[in-house]
Amino acid sequence: MERALPEVSHEWGETMLKVNDLVVDYGYVHAVKGIDLEVNQGEIITLIGANGAGKTTTLKAISNLIKKSSGSITFQGEDLTNMSPHKIVEHGICHVPEGRLIFPDLTVKENLMTGTFGNKKLSGTEKDELLEEMFEWFPRLKERMNQLGGTLSGGEQQMLAIARGLMMNPQIIMMDEPSLGLAPIIVEEIFELIEKIRESGKTVLLIEQNASMALNIADRAYVLENGRVTLSGTGKELLDDPKVQAAYLGT
Amino acid sequence: MDGYLISQIVNGLCLGLIYALIALGVAVIIGIVGFATFTQGEIVMIGAYSSYYVFLWSGNNLIYGMIASFMITWIIGMILYKVCYAKFFDSPEYISLICTIGFSMLLKNLAQIIFGAEKKPMLNIIENKIYHLGIIELSRVQLMVFITVIVMVIILSLLFTRTSWGLKLKAVSQNREAAALVGINVDKTAMIGNCIGCAIAGAAGTLIGIYYQSAYATMGATLSMKAFTSATLGGLTSVPLAALGGILIGVTENIGIAFSSASFRDIFSFGFLIIMLIFKPTGFGRKRGARA
Repeated sequence: MERALPEVSHEWGETMLKVNDLVVDYGYVHAVKGIDLEVNQGEIITLIGANGAGKTTTLKAISNLIKKSSGSITFQGEDLTNMSPHKIVEHGICHVPEGRLIFPDLTVKENLMTGTFGNKKLSGTEKDELLEEMFEWFPRLKERMNQLGGTLSGGEQQMLAIARGLMMNPQIIMMDEPSLGLAPIIVEEIFELIEKIRESGKTVLLIEQNASMALNIADRAYVLENGRVTLSGTGKELLDDPKVQAAYLGT
Repeated sequence: MDGYLISQIVNGLCLGLIYALIALGVAVIIGIVGFATFTQGEIVMIGAYSSYYVFLWSGNNLIYGMIASFMITWIIGMILYKVCYAKFFDSPEYISLICTIGFSMLLKNLAQIIFGAEKKPMLNIIENKIYHLGIIELSRVQLMVFITVIVMVIILSLLFTRTSWGLKLKAVSQNREAAALVGINVDKTAMIGNCIGCAIAGAAGTLIGIYYQSAYATMGATLSMKAFTSATLGGLTSVPLAALGGILIGVTENIGIAFSSASFRDIFSFGFLIIMLIFKPTGFGRKRGARA
């Protein structure tokens, strides 16, 4: 790909996305109570934690789909805290939401084309190239190009949601539970895909309940409990951590 | 079949096409904005008045009248969106619904103050000439209505199926959150959807003004209900079925009138609605692409 992409480097680059002391309340419920996160260029970062730990809330706060009570988000030095969601997307931040949220009454191809709205710089030929590339990555989507999104199976919908996100050629892709409710063999495919996305030069912020798989591919990870970061470290460190093993890996 | 019944069916089709235009505006608004509207009839009235004044000024130039009603109701649509919808996306649906009812009362009464309570005559906008096609009699006004509605429907369907704006509108109608996450400005897109729905109704106002040869402040009252009825037949958001609903209501009304009196017009359309709601409350449509 010759399109403007960050360089692939395993010497982690500069801090790309920074979350400072994020607090989110749903009425009287404190969902996130002061989270600090850093995502560096080229990394796979994963947030793990139980239901209700605040993982999805954190991601939605970054995309500004929900109101933050306090805290700030910066991306490549730019303050995104109060920017509207579509402007945040235009900065090259792609959010593949929980539950996929594909457009059920649009065809697979139309679903993919909506992905390009987030990147105003893409020319017509670049869009076609991206589409071809996505069809190469996901041959099943090519077969079903003219089928309605809602008729796809769960795994195919997840592939479509990720491919739609990649259609904007983002700098960072944030994925919310991509393996949720999928058969183990498809979960493996998804994790292979995540590594492939990183190899193509993109940064990945991954939310997972499947902690062992997530930690295996993650460069660094944060453990969230009750709206706070309780542990952080490299994927390997956390895999070996007895507390993590007891709580999330079931060993 | 006798000629009287045939001409009533032609009249019904013609009126039904106008209803269809108003109803598909409603379906576009409900589909894209996600809230019901009860202001549609008053938008039709504004459209009729806009073209009435432009006809006075331009000497019955049909194109100018149509453009004026389209543009003015587009602007009213922007105001309507800001007042009734923009602030209420996180609130219960009935709030914006009641807000649109209030807005319709405001428009109706403002129109009475500004334009006066009397009917404005819209005479001879189109030369009254009758064409004979076999046993079917078609007036030039009716022909104009047929052509205008068909052209507008074609333009609208091209907009929705061939342009990136159409794709944006459809994306917003299916999932606002996902639309925001692919970088669509949901607020602006929903407002444009609302404006399209209103401007179509405005153009329908021009047609209905010409058809009934008058414009008056309360002309929208039953039209709101009929448009909503037609949209109900299509499950509220299906544009083609809403249009079919409009045509059916127009034909039902006029066949009913053929056997009774014109003052019973509304009995037939709303009787039709009640029967539909009893036997097929979800409308004709079946949700496409639904799985799990």
